[in-house]
Amino acid sequence: MRRAARRAALDDVRVTTDVRYVELSLTARSDSARFAARVLGDQGVTGSLVLVAGDELGSLGGVPGSDATMLVDELVRAVAVSVGDQTGGVASGVQLMGGGQLRLIEILDAQLERRAARRVPGVDDDPRWVVPLPRDPSKVRVTEALGTLANGRVGVRGSAERTGQRASPLFAAAGLYDDRSRLVRGPIWTVANVADDSPQPVVGAVDLRTGVLVRVDAKTGVRSLRFVSSEQLHAMALRAEAFDGALLPGDVLEVPDGGGGRTRRQGGATVASSGSALGTLAVAAREQWAGDADRVTLERLCAWSTGRDGAPAERRAARQLARAASVGFDALLAGQRRAWAQRWRGAEVTIVGGPEAARDELAARFSVFHLLAAASAGGEAAVGARGLTGDAYDGHVFWDADVFVLPALVALRPEAARAMLEYRIRRLPAARAQAAALGRTGARFPWESARDGSDVTPRLVHGPHGEPIPILTGAHEEHIVADVAWAAVRYAEWSGDGAFLEGPGRGLVVETARYWASRIRLDRAGRAHLYGVMGPDEYHEVVDDNAFTNVMARWNLRCAADLLDQVQGPGGGSADPAGSRAGSRAGSRAGSRAGETAAWRDLAARLVDGFVAEQGIYEQFAGYFGLEPLVVSDVARPPVAIDVLLGPERVRASQLIKQADVLMIHHVLPTIPPRGSLERCIDFYEPRTAHGSSLSPAISATLLARAGRPDEALHLFRTAARLDLDDVTGTTAGGLHLAAMGGVWQALAYGFLGVRTDSHRVVVDPHLPSAWRELSMRFRVQGVPVEVRASRDDVIIASSAPLQLAVAGTEIEHRGGAPLVVPVGSPSRAAVKAAKRSPP
Amino acid sequence: MTEIPPTSRTPQAPEQPRSPEPPQALEPPRVPVVLAALDKDDSSSSVLGTGVKFAEIIGAGVEALHAGTSLPATLCMLARRAGVALRRIDGPANRALVAEIVRPEVRAIVVGAGLERSGRHPVGPTTRYVAERSSKFVVIVPVAPKGSEGPLSHLLVPLEGTASSSRPILEALFPLLVTGAEVEVLHVFTQETLPRMLDDPVRDFELIGRELLAKHCPGASRILLRAGPIADRVREACDKGPCGMIVLSWSQVSSGGRARVVRDVLSTSAIPVLLLPVAGDAGRTALPDAASHGAP
Repeated sequence: MRRAARRAALDDVRVTTDVRYVELSLTARSDSARFAARVLGDQGVTGSLVLVAGDELGSLGGVPGSDATMLVDELVRAVAVSVGDQTGGVASGVQLMGGGQLRLIEILDAQLERRAARRVPGVDDDPRWVVPLPRDPSKVRVTEALGTLANGRVGVRGSAERTGQRASPLFAAAGLYDDRSRLVRGPIWTVANVADDSPQPVVGAVDLRTGVLVRVDAKTGVRSLRFVSSEQLHAMALRAEAFDGALLPGDVLEVPDGGGGRTRRQGGATVASSGSALGTLAVAAREQWAGDADRVTLERLCAWSTGRDGAPAERRAARQLARAASVGFDALLAGQRRAWAQRWRGAEVTIVGGPEAARDELAARFSVFHLLAAASAGGEAAVGARGLTGDAYDGHVFWDADVFVLPALVALRPEAARAMLEYRIRRLPAARAQAAALGRTGARFPWESARDGSDVTPRLVHGPHGEPIPILTGAHEEHIVADVAWAAVRYAEWSGDGAFLEGPGRGLVVETARYWASRIRLDRAGRAHLYGVMGPDEYHEVVDDNAFTNVMARWNLRCAADLLDQVQGPGGGSADPAGSRAGSRAGSRAGSRAGETAAWRDLAARLVDGFVAEQGIYEQFAGYFGLEPLVVSDVARPPVAIDVLLGPERVRASQLIKQADVLMIHHVLPTIPPRGSLERCIDFYEPRTAHGSSLSPAISATLLARAGRPDEALHLFRTAARLDLDDVTGTTAGGLHLAAMGGVWQALAYGFLGVRTDSHRVVVDPHLPSAWRELSMRFRVQGVPVEVRASRDDVIIASSAPLQLAVAGTEIEHRGGAPLVVPVGSPSRAAVKAAKRSPP
Repeated sequence: MTEIPPTSRTPQAPEQPRSPEPPQALEPPRVPVVLAALDKDDSSSSVLGTGVKFAEIIGAGVEALHAGTSLPATLCMLARRAGVALRRIDGPANRALVAEIVRPEVRAIVVGAGLERSGRHPVGPTTRYVAERSSKFVVIVPVAPKGSEGPLSHLLVPLEGTASSSRPILEALFPLLVTGAEVEVLHVFTQETLPRMLDDPVRDFELIGRELLAKHCPGASRILLRAGPIADRVREACDKGPCGMIVLSWSQVSSGGRARVVRDVLSTSAIPVLLLPVAGDAGRTALPDAASHGAP
């Protein structure tokens, strides 16, 4: 038949057959089913949310019926129903209902009735996308953190509808702080009056694919689904249903204690707000009840608004609610599914292997899910250490945002990364003021930042017996200044937004360089130093010439000099054909700038970095090599908070370190250390690293993979990826560790996939652990959507636009369109071929 | 049996909490009692004083007991001065005391520890016998407890963070506290239980502490987190703080090297130690995990 078809010029014919006929055509029913699955998938409708119905889903005379061809792999979890007679039986998983067309209409009517009755919708219970939450009542706050839903603007923890004493619900808005620089706790809109409040197991799960939280209370039978809309950013919704009076009317909104809040009725809505004069968070909610004596359903639509500096938020929330209500729950949910499907199209991570690989994949997706939810496009995005998933660290912004979260977001949602930088740009004046207050020039970004960009790092805390404990990070952990500049450059390079550094981002690079220039001191020999700093390794609190800080500062100075010289030319002259006085002033300024950039380059050249050429490693700080040469395995098994075990004094006197410090140089500036230094620094520093910080394991995993040790990397990757899912730190109750999640993405992309960019190309150099057969990631680089799929045999790169690539050492020009297949181990350009696959 | 007439310390029937169930019997409510086991040695005064203070915080009366052939005059005077009824009980002291403990109205027994020249307070055979067999609380009192003046206002509860060890505290001790005595929890990390990561030690410890309290001791007023040898950290906390009694749950097995923490604390503590048996009346429900301070 195929030969006959080819003779008829049908090269790629589809053959559909059952016992009664043979059909040759350009498309088959299976093609249609795949097409439908793809279209539905683009709407976030997958698996068991799809109904496949037919009357020939079974076999006819021992041959599969024609409708059975619709049961394609893409619809493997779909609900399949046969309404035919099917005397030959149906395939496994197909429900035989019979009844013909009338039965099909009944089935569809039942679905419409569910909608009309406002029943709680289902989710596609796909184990690759659905994260089950802990059921243990003693872990209620961990469950709340893991069940957080956010859209970058607001987030709500996954608290139970009826919160008990142990609960810590939170609804917060990004960047909205009270007068004590803490996140404003907004009105809780997820409460419901559940008749039984005794602690009981609740089956809860987050569907990462669609961004919804579902909960089923085993005892009361209350089912619920909620979401924070990622399409209509001010809308939120909750549906719940219950039998036998388990769900009763009650408070619609709950204002947190001490939040200075109020609740009132306005029109048909309940409106509540809380906060302080600096910022209020308002929620308006309207609910509808339906049902009968046996079953009731609650549908609650909500909208939020913020008011800063006394601006009224409640009226705006009420207006937003009217908009959400005009859309309706079903359309909002459809929009939510669509929005997340769109996000995942540019961010999906797939890991193929055994059951452990599936576990790794789910953990990786969990990280990406929360990264995508951490910041939104437009305006500014203040991404706190725990995002909007908890109140730990008060929502303060650390280097976690710049060095850990932003590199992931610039590849997944560049516009959100841009908003994160906007947060820094708008706080440049505060950073300048802080530098000036210290008698320096330029801008000094604070270790902890909140609303206005002033330093909100605590300086002193009191121990259990009232003893004062000084906090030194704010005064000494100054690498944050260069980290902010690095984030700006990373954004520009990765996103291809070249105008950023010449425009709004320039101040982040130039003003920080000015700060370093005023901070650095010269010794009598003319060498430059940074005295009294703290590196990422906070076990050694105040040191001189921390290698990471110095290398970052040097890079910052050179980068700023390059940037200014690009604008005005290295000689400092700027063309001014009119020869006006203004031009003369500009020329004078340019001359002064040229002097400044030359001074920066000079300082950068003089700045010591602790690199010991004979050994090929950096000394972490001046005097580090003279400390007690302890390694972690002598004392305990990492990860471990070894300072608690040995005491801070003993650790300070040893070479034990909290987290990657020297190795951060290799991580953020991989082209700066001399060749071979990465391997030597790993060999020296990794045994000394306790990984006593949540930031550490993912970075080491990244570098171990890059160094060709992926199996060792996998162990640390798993620690990072499961950090919150397994509450490794014991602090997940206070919120999820967003920096670790950013590290997880970086370990996958920079480590196992070996992706990086340089000035003109994208480099891919995969190192897969033996437990994984395949790793694929989608992201954007230089404005181009890309999918990289690596296996032991080949690397497949799909891009809709041209890309200059270097894959496993082979330079390749990818013209876009059909994916490139690069055999691994045969780095011959001739081996590169186009695969017949669709671009992402 | 000789009896000293009841006095003001003699327990009065307290007001019973309202019960959702109707009473099963018509017997008058039994008066909760703390027994103070007085010996002839120097510890009797401390034992009796501790018994009175402990009875106050749980709303109980005090009965003093002496096992022997007669009641020494010094003990009679001591009891009279304290306003406590004193009884002589027959038989070997260990068995006689255990027989008294099983009385339903008895909430706790207070016994004395020994004293060595080194300053340690070893638990003698009688005290050990009683502690290992008592289904009620046992308070073990050093000879000259530190800071024995004034009422008992602070309890230190070293908590290892398992359900079984915290259950007696939550379910048996807390419901009895009537005076608002402050409960301070001490959690000591060992090498096995150390936190794996502390991004910011101060803030993360606060979070970990909050979680431990929420899970295991929500009635406590605060928590101290320490690392190292548990008995040393307990002693330090007692030395630095206002604590008047240490509360430990234990599995009541001290042979074969078990209950090391309990033994260490008892032998070095300068203040009374309240032992709550995890499998006794204090730990009323089945225990899913065997761990406790007394477990190996």
